[in-house]
Amino acid sequence: MDFNSIHQRLLAINAPGVLSADTPRAADPEDKADKGRAGEAFVLIDRSEALNFLLAVRDDAELAFDMLVDLTGTDPDAEDEDLWLNLHLLSLAHGHRLAVKAMVPKANAVVPSMVAAHMAAHYHERECSEMFGIHFEGNPDLRNILLPDDWIGFPLRKDYEFPKEYHGVSCE
Amino acid sequence: MMIRTKELTPITQRHPRPLNGSARQTMSLLQNSFEENVLTTKVDWLLNWARLSSIWPMTFGLACCAIEMMAVGAAHHDIDRFGAGAFRATPRQADLMIVAGTVNFKMGERVKRLYDQMPSPKYVIAMGACATGGGPYYKYGYTVMKGVDRIIPVDVYIAGCPPRPEALLEGLMKLQDKIRNTSVIRKPARTA
Amino acid sequence: MSEMNAPTELPKPKTVEIPETARTLPSGEREFMLDVSTSDLEINMGPQHPATHGVMRILIRTDGEVVTGGQVHLGYLHRCAEKIGENVEWLQYLPYTDRYDYLSAMNNNLGYSLAVEAVMGVEIPRRATILRTLCAELNRIGSHLVAFGTYGLDIGAFTPFFYCFREREWMMALFEKICGARLTYSYIRIGGVFNDAPVGWLKEVERFCDVFEEKWQEYYDLLAVNHIFVKRTADIGVISPEMAVDYGLTGPMLRGSGVDFDLRRDVPYMAYDEICKAGVFDIPLGTGEKGTVGDCWDRVYVRLQEMMESIKIIRWCLGVIEDGPVIGDIPKVIKVPPGEAYVGIENPRGELGHYILSDGGKVARRCRVRGPSFCNVAVLEQLLPGTFLADSVAIIGSTDVVIGETDR
Repeated sequence: MDFNSIHQRLLAINAPGVLSADTPRAADPEDKADKGRAGEAFVLIDRSEALNFLLAVRDDAELAFDMLVDLTGTDPDAEDEDLWLNLHLLSLAHGHRLAVKAMVPKANAVVPSMVAAHMAAHYHERECSEMFGIHFEGNPDLRNILLPDDWIGFPLRKDYEFPKEYHGVSCE
Repeated sequence: MMIRTKELTPITQRHPRPLNGSARQTMSLLQNSFEENVLTTKVDWLLNWARLSSIWPMTFGLACCAIEMMAVGAAHHDIDRFGAGAFRATPRQADLMIVAGTVNFKMGERVKRLYDQMPSPKYVIAMGACATGGGPYYKYGYTVMKGVDRIIPVDVYIAGCPPRPEALLEGLMKLQDKIRNTSVIRKPARTA
Repeated sequence: MSEMNAPTELPKPKTVEIPETARTLPSGEREFMLDVSTSDLEINMGPQHPATHGVMRILIRTDGEVVTGGQVHLGYLHRCAEKIGENVEWLQYLPYTDRYDYLSAMNNNLGYSLAVEAVMGVEIPRRATILRTLCAELNRIGSHLVAFGTYGLDIGAFTPFFYCFREREWMMALFEKICGARLTYSYIRIGGVFNDAPVGWLKEVERFCDVFEEKWQEYYDLLAVNHIFVKRTADIGVISPEMAVDYGLTGPMLRGSGVDFDLRRDVPYMAYDEICKAGVFDIPLGTGEKGTVGDCWDRVYVRLQEMMESIKIIRWCLGVIEDGPVIGDIPKVIKVPPGEAYVGIENPRGELGHYILSDGGKVARRCRVRGPSFCNVAVLEQLLPGTFLADSVAIIGSTDVVIGETDR
């Protein structure tokens, strides 16, 4: 199924949390600042419904997104007040993919954990929480996975300051 | 490719940590007790020859350089012909630590601990650009330690990313040259 | 001095009641088991270990010889690849892609290039596509050779390692002729490949394919059907298909459990559409031949068979390659138009995904790498409990984890 059919199906089954879809478009000739959007399309969802959304698209026979391929975050800009939560789903039966995005405000970065839908989310959530500071409510074990346990700061945020030294060893 | 070695210093002056027990008593009887003469040079030569012909490395492959280290251990570029083919898994039985790969802060604490667990005389080869000075991760790697010599003393640096197996063998030969020139029995030419 | 020579008092023996269930021996003695309290032992299979395939730490809790729990600790090779992606230019990031899964650097370059090209929308010339496919499959063989050889080392078989590395040296010599490097190639670039194959290279690849088929039989006879190897790996570390899909496993981990899914056939990219239509290669699956479906032997055998399937793809590439340019029409300084894309390719370990977000400039906004080993390792905490300590080494080896990719 291509993206438009997937989007139609999502609306047809009333998948929880679906807000809108963003598809690639050419640059607007009227607006000089607009350079268009290349690449691939994604579906925007409400972050509080993320778990229910995953369960719904997994259980539907036509969509059958049974594998959570990736769960990560993005900090689009230092001045932007939202982080993005990016999910990428794959259907083994039909061979189609879906890119899902949710906005997570930096001031209140709490998202329900998606471990109940896919066990694959566990490690991804741990990495996302240590890199961006997003707290996943309900994840059984949200310790640091890649960074040392006493690391300060969220490295993948755009306003991250590189450390000067760690445990007496210089970082310069 | 450039291979740099640190200034030659005798083993006793490089590692100020004392040996314990009877080893200290025996070695301190021998070390630096004799003036240079024909007999001590020959004993020195023998001890050094024995050490450099059977350097046993520790399996310490961290990243991509580890694969080239494995290739050195394999049949094509045989490291066993240098006597260094017995890779020991435990630091307590090894005398060479080839730091092959990037060292980051989390791993650095373990590197220091493993280095401390190796018995003297011990040598370290920093293999590859990452172990030498941070490598390609120098600029934006926030967890990468910019060179393993920030925590342990290194004897031979090998450049390359990853260095060819032949480069690692040349580094090993450079280390052998270094061992060949150390004086265990003779008084060192420079006083402390 | 007298205290030293005085006999020490032995502790008084505890009196124990003889239970009803005590067995009576022919000599008249009674025999029964004493209930002694034991506690679990926590062993650190530390970052420095010959069998963890890199710097991975597993805290194993054992009750005697049986493992009761295993906790995986990663991050000992975290090299901040994603942060670097946000700070260096598009083409400058390519050498970093080599270094996360250092055993299959061509596939990493390919994944990144495809993701950037998906956003750029640039057309790749035909010769470049075929060369890319050829190099990626040749690298798959090399990666599986290391996986197979080092797995033998973990189990205790030292010889297959040397045989595998003999073929690998040949493969690395081929790559050295085409791009100059043995391990970290940076050959497959945005827009095509770096440079054309030298004269006679394709003939050498064909010769490699011919010789490899005989060598494959050597590996099969030496290790795969070796009685001891089978006993050590069959019925160990069984992953059910449902568990595999739930944990997001891909690649030989998934196919070893019998799930028929391969990105090259089901979500095709590059020339794989054409290759699958021509029926060039099969997808080997785990069948439980020596034990249960989804055990360690299945996964190892899937990798072994994939080497032969890659040879078929390489032969197809050698048959269809034509002359032409090897790099598309891209500017010297690459500027990717604003947009985002996720492209996942079939790495020897599973699905390697790159999520690229561009804002129109010379530097990426976000360069996310979905490493297959990161997801594959998550299943270890489920697989280890209940096995023997020696089997836990076999299970960890069968996941074919490369820590550069797990930690990025």
